[in-house]
Amino acid sequence: MKVIDIKEVHKVYDEEEIAVKAVDGVTLSFDEAEFVAIVGPSGSGKTTLLNLIGGLDMPTEGEIVIAGTNLSTLKPSGLIDFRLNNIGFVFQAYNLVPVLTAKENVEFIMSLQKWSKHDRELRSDELLKAVGLLERKNSRPGKLSGGQQQRVAVARALASRPKFVLADEPTANLDSKSAATLLEIMEKLNHGEKITFIFSTHDPRVVKMAHRVITLEDGKVVSDDVRE
Amino acid sequence: MRLYGAEKLPGMTISIAWKNVWRNRNRSLTVIIAVALGIISGVMLIAIMEGWIEQRLHDAIYNEASHIQIHNSDYLKNEEIQLTVDKAPEIISEAGKINEISGWVIRSKVVAMANTSWANTGVFIYGIDPEKEKDVTEIYKRIVRGGGKYLEKNAPGTILISDKTAELLKLKQYCLRDEVLSKLKEVNIPEKVTIALKDIYGIRFRSPKDFSNALKEKLTRRQLDDYGKTIMDSSLDYRIRNKIQVTLSDLNGNPVQGTFRVCGIYKTTNTGFDQQTVYINSDDLLELYGGTSQLIHEFAFLLSDVKKCEEVKEKLELISGKNKVSTWKELAPDAAMMNDFMIMYYVIFVGIIMLALAFGIINTMMMAILERTKELGMLMAIGMNRKRIFNMIMLETVFLTLVGAIAGIFAGWLLVAVLGRNGIYFSSWGEGFEAIGFAARVYPVISPSYFALIIVMVIITAIISSVWPARKALNLAPVEAIRTE
Repeated sequence: MKVIDIKEVHKVYDEEEIAVKAVDGVTLSFDEAEFVAIVGPSGSGKTTLLNLIGGLDMPTEGEIVIAGTNLSTLKPSGLIDFRLNNIGFVFQAYNLVPVLTAKENVEFIMSLQKWSKHDRELRSDELLKAVGLLERKNSRPGKLSGGQQQRVAVARALASRPKFVLADEPTANLDSKSAATLLEIMEKLNHGEKITFIFSTHDPRVVKMAHRVITLEDGKVVSDDVRE
Repeated sequence: MRLYGAEKLPGMTISIAWKNVWRNRNRSLTVIIAVALGIISGVMLIAIMEGWIEQRLHDAIYNEASHIQIHNSDYLKNEEIQLTVDKAPEIISEAGKINEISGWVIRSKVVAMANTSWANTGVFIYGIDPEKEKDVTEIYKRIVRGGGKYLEKNAPGTILISDKTAELLKLKQYCLRDEVLSKLKEVNIPEKVTIALKDIYGIRFRSPKDFSNALKEKLTRRQLDDYGKTIMDSSLDYRIRNKIQVTLSDLNGNPVQGTFRVCGIYKTTNTGFDQQTVYINSDDLLELYGGTSQLIHEFAFLLSDVKKCEEVKEKLELISGKNKVSTWKELAPDAAMMNDFMIMYYVIFVGIIMLALAFGIINTMMMAILERTKELGMLMAIGMNRKRIFNMIMLETVFLTLVGAIAGIFAGWLLVAVLGRNGIYFSSWGEGFEAIGFAARVYPVISPSYFALIIVMVIITAIISSVWPARKALNLAPVEAIRTE
């Protein structure tokens, strides 16, 4: 089933009166439970494309339809609610709320979705167990390693049962062991939760594990390889 | 400006807001201490003013005006001896039937000139029944130390005057005699201080100012600050039993004179009232102005409940004919005005404190927002809507301010409780305060309703202070905020 449908999307930034084409006529679609890596050199438009898919930025031209909803038809407030209910985010710098424990960070999105306390606890325990951090659930981010923080971020991204997860260079700040652990967990969750994962990455380990690799150059898709 | 409407806040938003307050402990504590100090000063100001007002209202009612008075309506404009209360016997008979009246007296009140061998001053002589007067006024409780005793019915030819009148008539003298020096030693006044005063031993000073000037010449500033009041109080000597001659017009307008011995000296907190009020037995006054029965110039009533003033006034008006029935609010308008309008001044004063604090709060919150740009961007990205971001920042500001307010209220309450025991003595300004009816020693007091007022004002200040930082946060674009380092 098609989760994301991107049609002829362009994103042009005006920098000092010079138009910079960050995304240039991209057309793509993503199905349920895909594990996709978007690769390309710096400045190729990977992060911009993820921001557009995530509704954090709006295309200059073209349309992005997620689960039947055209993002450009949503008002800013509607877009935030749409993100809350449909998209999970994993950031390069983890971006956990430092005053909350691992468990509270995972539960936070569910509390915004008004889940009951009981359901939140069940789900956060389930996810923290899946990322191997159940015993550290009461630790604040400052007491966790980078790899552990990113695993909490993955658990948080999945907490609201999104349609897909966008991860912008999730392993960029991690050592190889932590990165490998994280990727294994993500792949397992991709299978278990049947959730689409889309990464932007430079990391060959991520590329190696991806089921589909999309290569961007100068804002254009230059290859789209699906692996068996 | 668009404010974000009320929405049931998830407990976690409240929890984050509270935890955020303690992220930068030192910065938050600075604001909390500033708010607490501001609240303490607000609480102290209100408590001091309330102490003064309470004292002024009490003294205005129990020393001066009572709850209600009746006069001949012309007497209030022109205090002539002939202008007595109309239908006094009917009022006397009917007033006793009004249940709300707990005590009442009749008084003669005439204008007179009082003289001693050294000075003279204008006074109102009140002809009273000293024992009945105790039902209505507390003057009998205001006899100063060493100032003789209250007026007695069976001691004709005596007069009760005030400390201020004694001063004006030079019946108040200061003298460093041997017994005063021994008294000073007993209260641990250093010997070098008493030695410094040896040149003025035995000299009589007939005014506090002269004695005070003499002390200033002999003592250092520090010695004067530390021991001046004790020396002044110990050296004070009232010339009790001294004679005062009073001159007034009799019923025919002829001047008549009488001589009275001072039986006692009283002192209220209102020097203005004191300096023009002396008391003698009503029979003595009757003898002076002539006639067959006491002239009644004033009825004074004390009620069991001050709130019944208007109701009782109406009842008294029905039996008083053309007389003027006045409540304490009309007789002591200064006290009434303070009682009615002070809350407005408190709101203005606390408002000014809050305004000053608001700048500190806004600054702190702006810094907090600036430091958390990336985090706020992330929260917006993952689905925390503007309403919730706004509410979180507003709650954070309210928590920050409320912690300071609660600390300030507690410390202020404690301070009021401690200072309320012995009062605060405004020695330097005491004379000035007493000239306008306020005690030099004030006993701070504050009612819980003012704490509620302060809390409400703090919350309003916090909400207003949060608007600017919150709007700053709402204007962040998530995609840019996340990139911030």
